[in-house]
Amino acid sequence: MDLSPFDKDNSVSCRLASQVPDICKTEDCCLGIDEAGRGPVLGPMVYGICFCPVSKKEQLKNLKVADSKTLTEAERENLFQKLDEARNYVGWALQVLSPNTISTSMLQRTKYNLNALSHDTAIGLVQYALDCGVQLKEIYVDTVGPADKYEDKLSKLFPGISVTVRPKADSLFPIVSAASICAKVARDRVVKGWNFTEELGEVDPDYGSGYPNDPKTKAWLLKYLDPVFGYPQFVRFSWSTAQTLMDSKAVTVHWDDDEEDGEKAAQRQKNRSMLSYFNASAGGNNQNPTHQTHRFLTERRLKNLNTL
Amino acid sequence: MSSNSSVTHVCVSSVSVAQRAPLHLMPCEIEHNGPAQVSQYFTATMKECKYEKTVSFRGRGLKGQELSCPEGYTGLVLKETNKSGSDQEDRTVQVSSVFDKLTYWNLETPPNSDDSVVKAMDWPKLAEAVSYFYLCIFCRC
Repeated sequence: MDLSPFDKDNSVSCRLASQVPDICKTEDCCLGIDEAGRGPVLGPMVYGICFCPVSKKEQLKNLKVADSKTLTEAERENLFQKLDEARNYVGWALQVLSPNTISTSMLQRTKYNLNALSHDTAIGLVQYALDCGVQLKEIYVDTVGPADKYEDKLSKLFPGISVTVRPKADSLFPIVSAASICAKVARDRVVKGWNFTEELGEVDPDYGSGYPNDPKTKAWLLKYLDPVFGYPQFVRFSWSTAQTLMDSKAVTVHWDDDEEDGEKAAQRQKNRSMLSYFNASAGGNNQNPTHQTHRFLTERRLKNLNTL
Repeated sequence: MSSNSSVTHVCVSSVSVAQRAPLHLMPCEIEHNGPAQVSQYFTATMKECKYEKTVSFRGRGLKGQELSCPEGYTGLVLKETNKSGSDQEDRTVQVSSVFDKLTYWNLETPPNSDDSVVKAMDWPKLAEAVSYFYLCIFCRC
């Protein structure tokens, strides 16, 4: 598994893929989808697909692939090795969603939530397999959300392919287990060898599992908090763990689309909100009512300054 | 207009020794007044393709563009050395750095010529034209 395309720019989303076995272009195939690293506040989320001919399902099963979560890191690496050796009939593809992609998507003006991002990524990977000429007949998907709706969505998008969406599919279908192993191996490797784009000098690599409740992760997040910038791009800013720490220990940042009460926001900017008009009659209006700044100037945010 | 009667002096001699510094105009308000690790966190992660720059700040995507100061103008970053308590006293500010261009950033939207800061740079030219126009009227009266 060559992760260098992602390492080169780990701020974006990146696709990594194996060669497509020739047999997958001629024989009916099954495909499994799973993800790794949905929960952690650190590092990327990796989506994986794995596919092989329906006729080779037993052979795949004999490789003893299992749900990646029940395996140790060494066992996963070992199984990935086996999948790699089976490359004449097993293919895989991954989408590495960088933490920066996750942050900027979830914190977008028009919010793009993790579920939508996950679905779109999975759909993109299936489409990739189809575009490569894989003869897909069956798709198996592991899900955390409601399975029925997701199954309908995928069935409509890929007519003629039987779609099975199941919670815990990674322990039920070997092809999903295989996908989960590919995804988890990639995530582990990326997290372990994270290349910090920020100039932070030697970064303490002891960040634990990346899960918010891991004491090591917590300690790392406290250590690497910058009062102005918050965190390096390795951290998912959209996670409440990161947000809470920044709220309490970093300086406040206001955006024009903050969901801040109108009057409060106006007060902060030392402006008067419309509502304050209805308050006390005192508070003389300083502005000369006969003098109105021309639109030409207000549009350019130009105004007279008589003090700094 | 306020009844402020104090005078603010700009220490002009500091211009010549002031360093040219890169400047970023952010699309948010940061409640911070002081040094920040701009090069380590911000500049290091900035990316440039064609005319558009991209970066993220606090997990939000920004798009930016370089903007030059109007011809004949220099931007000044001023710093007040001894801040006086009363607004009646005169104030003195030093030029801490100068700039002739800046990078302005928008939240997610690509920079364009309709952005207020870009349009603001039209003002010196217009002001010049207007004063010339007034001068003409004045002469004809």
